[in-house]
Amino acid sequence: MSRKFAPVLLVAILLISLFAGCKKEPETIKIGLEVPLTGDYAYEGQGMEKAVRLLVEQVNEQGGLLGRQVELIVEDDAGDPTQAALVAQRLVDAGVVAVIGAYNSTATEPASEIYNEAGILHITPSSTATRLTQKGFQRFFRVCFLDDRQGLFAAKFMKEVLGAQNIAILHDNSTYAQGLAEHTKRYAEEMGLNVVFFDAINPDDTDFTPILTNIASAAPDAVYFTGYHPQGGLLLKQSGELGLDLQWVMGNACNNPELIQIAGLENAVGTYVTTEPLPKDLDYPEAKEYVAAFEAKYGEPVASVWWLMAAEAFNVIRYAIEQTESTDPAVLAEFLHNEAKDIPGLTGPILGWDEKGDRLGTIHVAYVIDENGNFILNPEQPSP
Amino acid sequence: MQFLQQLVNGITIGAFYALVALGYTMVYGVLKLINFAHGDLFMWGAYLGLTGLTVALAALGYTTPWAILPVVIFVMTSVALMGVLVERIAYRPLRSAGRLAPVISALGVAFILESLARNVYGASWKTYPQGLTPSGGLVLAGGVRVSLMQIIVLVASFLLMAGLYLFVHRTRVGTAMRAVSLDHDVSRLMGVDVDRIIMIVFLIGPGLGGVAGLIVALYYGSFDFTLGWIFGLKAFIAAILGGIGNIPGAMLGGMLLGIIETLGAGYMSPQWKDVIAYIILILILIFRPTGLLGERVAEKL
Repeated sequence: MSRKFAPVLLVAILLISLFAGCKKEPETIKIGLEVPLTGDYAYEGQGMEKAVRLLVEQVNEQGGLLGRQVELIVEDDAGDPTQAALVAQRLVDAGVVAVIGAYNSTATEPASEIYNEAGILHITPSSTATRLTQKGFQRFFRVCFLDDRQGLFAAKFMKEVLGAQNIAILHDNSTYAQGLAEHTKRYAEEMGLNVVFFDAINPDDTDFTPILTNIASAAPDAVYFTGYHPQGGLLLKQSGELGLDLQWVMGNACNNPELIQIAGLENAVGTYVTTEPLPKDLDYPEAKEYVAAFEAKYGEPVASVWWLMAAEAFNVIRYAIEQTESTDPAVLAEFLHNEAKDIPGLTGPILGWDEKGDRLGTIHVAYVIDENGNFILNPEQPSP
Repeated sequence: MQFLQQLVNGITIGAFYALVALGYTMVYGVLKLINFAHGDLFMWGAYLGLTGLTVALAALGYTTPWAILPVVIFVMTSVALMGVLVERIAYRPLRSAGRLAPVISALGVAFILESLARNVYGASWKTYPQGLTPSGGLVLAGGVRVSLMQIIVLVASFLLMAGLYLFVHRTRVGTAMRAVSLDHDVSRLMGVDVDRIIMIVFLIGPGLGGVAGLIVALYYGSFDFTLGWIFGLKAFIAAILGGIGNIPGAMLGGMLLGIIETLGAGYMSPQWKDVIAYIILILILIFRPTGLLGERVAEKL
């Protein structure tokens, strides 16, 4: 910059800050949302944005929080760890109080380091990898439940409901899927089941016939796939086309109507999915009210439980700010750790969090895909 | 039984690699250019096929598999035109600029085509309409299953490759192509319109690539915008393995890569298949640097 303009610029900056100082409006409360709006998980991320935006609008219409308007800042991490770190820094620089995100554990992990360093309250709606809460981050929480819980549920389901003795487990090497696969294996073996096949696919591949042929020759009573729905759909399709007689059970990342689209209905029928209950099956007044408001605003149902979990994360932040009358992340985190109990949640009453930031309790259930291509609550569930 | 089934699986994957590899090989034959944009032209075939099928099914209400035929023609011509356009804009101005500049230009085109697909069609997985492809198949001795779609894919790729081979070796234009692949200047002295021949190569290569994209999308039923990158890379390797610039070589290289990968995935683990496949690739190239069939320079392309 030339010397001539420097004084002019200085005066301009002074003037602008003078006007800014005069503004009567209280500052907004900035909440960050870091989700994949592009990439493999774009469908989930875009729905999560809609879900949170609805609550933000409702809050602002009712006068905001502590008399201040809420400003939602959305960043796209594309489900990618490198981009996640980048946009996490952007949110920190924007001055957010709390962040909701990311969708997948692989993206949440690097972002959580950055939020932790910046001292921001960080709530993931959907990342269930166990090790995320094992780093001693005091301001990191989940509103979803751990992989560890789901692994236990899946093993129990295959043993008690399917009567399986020999099971196969397949993951895709992602942080989340590998964690869930290993927990399932551990619990299954503790229950006396034989894990006759344990391996991973490469999620960049399109053709899984080699490993399917291999799984079939191990003749398991049930196959548990812990990866995401694009690959889950292809596995079901190719398994059907190879004429393999495999009983598929899939983890909660396959809890998505696109699974059936990709697989083709005839290949998807009879597949079980272990997951948190679908939004429409939640029997709480808060859930019903929210689901109805979502449909009224967007003209589509809350298709994925992760959309609801994102809304739940915002709900928790709102509750904490209202109860503590503070926007200091330290105060909010302290409150969630020690005082928050029985919060009226969208996904059922929230019992609270343990010292690591994991949500207490569990709500997993098994769904089955019926002949009409719907996920219906399986009539038979394992003992609690 | 498991081995034979894995062989069938591998040949199917190999046929796809071979189809895409043809495009790399043809362009390399005449221009000595590795057209990195080819994988993304192939991916555009899958997307344009989706558009074509959606329009055909909505407008004409086809209920038979014949709805695919006009879509094949639509995809083939539009991707071929894209190929010619790419050559005109990104390669022809660099024809005398040495070998590095066009390769970088090709990488640039690849990124542009990929981002374009993502922005136009969105980043989510796309699925083809159900019920267009025939289901069912044969169960051979020992329980080995070959689906009707696999047979169709194999026959279609073999016919396309055989047709291309005959075209290059039995027609006047094909002879001109082989001449151009040997020497541009001498061909020009002999009265060959080199620019026109290169244009024809960029019609045929991407045209076939586009159809390959359509077939892959029909076969697997779903894909996203990264399709071109993965298949493109594997097909490029297949072309090198068989001897780049050589049509039967592309076919052999594709089949071989598909089978090696499948056996690696089936007998060890999908996590190891690329390690195995590329160790074998490196070994072959150490002993035969020009690829398996690459040595007959005069008969290239």
